[in-house]
Amino acid sequence: MTALLWLQTGSCGGDTMSMLCADSPSLEDLVDEYGIEILWQPSLSTEPMKKLDALIEAILADRQTLDILCIEGSIITGPDGSGMYDPYRGRSKMSLVRELVEKAEYVVAMGTCASYGGVHAAPPNPTDCLGLQFDKKNPGGLLPIEWRSRKGLPVINISGCPAHPNAMTKTLAMLASGLPVELDHLNRPKAFFNTMVHQGCTRIEYHEYDVEDAEFGNKGCLFFNLGCQGPMTVAICNTELWNGRSSKTRAGVPCFGCTSPDFPLDHDLFRTEKIGEVPVHLPLNVERANYMAYKSLAHEAAPLRVLNKKMDP
Amino acid sequence: MSKKIVQIDMNRVEGDVDFQLELEDNRIVDARCVGSLYRGFEQILLGRKPMDALVITPRICGICGTAQLNAAVLALEHLARLPVPPAAIRIRNLCLMAETVQSDLRQSFLFFTADFCHPKYCGLSLYDKARAAFLPFQGEIYRGALEYSRHILEIIALFGGQWPHSSYMVPGGVTTPANSRHLIDSLSLLNKVTRWFEKSVIGMPLDDWLALQSVDEFFDWLEAKEAHADSAIGLLTRMSREIGLHRLGCGTPHMISYGAYDDPEDAENFSPHRKRLFKAGFLNGDTGSIEPFDQSEITEHVRYSWFLPYPGGRHPFQGQTVPDYQPHSDRYTWCKAPRYRDKVVQTGPLADALIDGEPLIHALYRAEGGNAWLRQFARLHRTGRLLQAMSQLLHELAAHPGAPHIFPPADKEIPDGEGFGLVTAARGALGHWLQVKDGVISRYQVITPTAWNASPKDSEGRHGHWESSLIGLTVEDSDDPVEIGHIIRSHDPCLVCTVHLLDTGKRLTVWP
Repeated sequence: MTALLWLQTGSCGGDTMSMLCADSPSLEDLVDEYGIEILWQPSLSTEPMKKLDALIEAILADRQTLDILCIEGSIITGPDGSGMYDPYRGRSKMSLVRELVEKAEYVVAMGTCASYGGVHAAPPNPTDCLGLQFDKKNPGGLLPIEWRSRKGLPVINISGCPAHPNAMTKTLAMLASGLPVELDHLNRPKAFFNTMVHQGCTRIEYHEYDVEDAEFGNKGCLFFNLGCQGPMTVAICNTELWNGRSSKTRAGVPCFGCTSPDFPLDHDLFRTEKIGEVPVHLPLNVERANYMAYKSLAHEAAPLRVLNKKMDP
Repeated sequence: MSKKIVQIDMNRVEGDVDFQLELEDNRIVDARCVGSLYRGFEQILLGRKPMDALVITPRICGICGTAQLNAAVLALEHLARLPVPPAAIRIRNLCLMAETVQSDLRQSFLFFTADFCHPKYCGLSLYDKARAAFLPFQGEIYRGALEYSRHILEIIALFGGQWPHSSYMVPGGVTTPANSRHLIDSLSLLNKVTRWFEKSVIGMPLDDWLALQSVDEFFDWLEAKEAHADSAIGLLTRMSREIGLHRLGCGTPHMISYGAYDDPEDAENFSPHRKRLFKAGFLNGDTGSIEPFDQSEITEHVRYSWFLPYPGGRHPFQGQTVPDYQPHSDRYTWCKAPRYRDKVVQTGPLADALIDGEPLIHALYRAEGGNAWLRQFARLHRTGRLLQAMSQLLHELAAHPGAPHIFPPADKEIPDGEGFGLVTAARGALGHWLQVKDGVISRYQVITPTAWNASPKDSEGRHGHWESSLIGLTVEDSDDPVEIGHIIRSHDPCLVCTVHLLDTGKRLTVWP
């Protein structure tokens, strides 16, 4: 059995709701087939909270093993460093989390809030929140960047707002099955964060030929004008569809880069910042001069069916 | 007489809620509902571009982000006087309904009915059946609710790309049309969920069940067949009534509903003057009459909240949200105290059904008054109505192929001004009030359904709805107060609430 404890800190509960949508594997599969024993999940546990108190006490006294600790939500440190904007039984959740992580074989940050601070850390960051091991993109959050769990791993960041349902359940299944989980430079599992959002986007042909939408509700690419960050963001949204069906970009909604540590960006989220005619932020690692040459050529080569937006995304 | 104060902690999606109760001989004589988590959304929105509200506000709540998105887009459209085509209204309604069906199924069968498996009830004749249906991760209904709440959300993903947290409702319409592939996919999903609802939740065809109108018809249905009595609603009803939930948890008699789902036939009217499919109104508990609803009658008080004090109540357009954490004062929560026409009100599916004039809920309310069972029943009755309404919407969309799904606004900037968006989320009345100055948000005030229900005392010292639904209740075992769990869960306080008392030896204060 793999004992799992899930705590919510500064959270909307969206990662829990997202995980209930997982289908490969589903939450039931984790329990039925992967031997995960949910010691506590705030939305699903039915026992009185006394059980959580007893569990925490037993974990801290090394009487209960804690294989996986999942944290959902920003770590709230305000007001004045007390953490009391998010209390638990007269103390801060922040201090509780700090104690529990030391007892866990693995610690998993579920969502961008727990990973990097997330939407609650947007300016002016009213509650002084940060992530478990990062503060936005800066190393070091509640825990220093050198921190390691009992199994020798840093906090595993399954970022996303919310985290992709199957990225959460697959990571848990990997940990429960003893499969290795390799992490990227932001401590995200590479299995889910080595794919650009726009890989698999059904508007990709419009992107290739530089046929760009300037208003919503159309068929073209959203990158040049409407704020889409699909070419700069890593996530599986278009290679493992949401709710088994679609993705934001397929449905004509820009990618807001919600798996990135700086989500949500400070500027206008529905407009692409540009220098002249060219976006300030180009597809990941592309050189500006090369990009401009390629784009003008691509536009020249565009077939009419694409130029006239005859193709359905 | 023994007097003691106990604290009850609850977890839920929109933040944490605790109750501090004062007991005299196991009878609750005072209650304080404490919203203990502060996240600061209204401050985060200040200075941002108005459209950003479509990305930020869905993240207020993981279970009703579609409703938040709808409130935000209606506020923008109200401010900028933007028209919306009928197909966009239909697609928005379809997604709002799917989200509410999801929430109702999860609230009912993952969170509410699990309490019936409590060992305290092992002597009841229905106990074994309740466990077979409702036991977490094992019960047939529990597993069905997990599976079919997933399926209904696939409809939102078809139009919005994903659930939770998308931003597909934009000023002027929605980002994706309802093409024939989407329509058939949606119909197939809806049919799958409806067939399960008929087989497992009500035990009969949906249309026939929704035709039940009177108290007698309802109880005749319950007893007519084993398939009815042992359906999920049959078991929930019989179990609730055996343990007396139909006599508990009335709360305030005043109710509000903002009305639900803009009428696509009235698309040419601007929000908020557009007609709605389910009516808005104020049920005046003093007279029993339903009066027109007017948002200018809403005020919020902060006398007992951890915000910078101001006297009396303020309309959200004059609202102010400046945190002022004073844990050792008589202020006790991060919730403000919203009042309508200076009255304490409740909101949610029971209020919606009564104000809309739904005959069966109305008849049951007249017979027994407001109570925890009826509140829960009204929620599942709504699920049935929404499944029916979604089918209607899909057929209307199919009847207008190629109809526009958006009127792109001529001006890309949202002008300076003010607007509000009022919607019915799964838990009731949700409102966003927005002001834009110099091109950026200068004020954003949100009143969630739970803010109405979980309200603390106001400037006049009047208790909020949940508080008053607990005062007077007798608790059998103050170490495991299942009664409170039933009552609070029947109000659906944003997802699950796990209701708990602190261990007597630790934090419980006992006065001799």
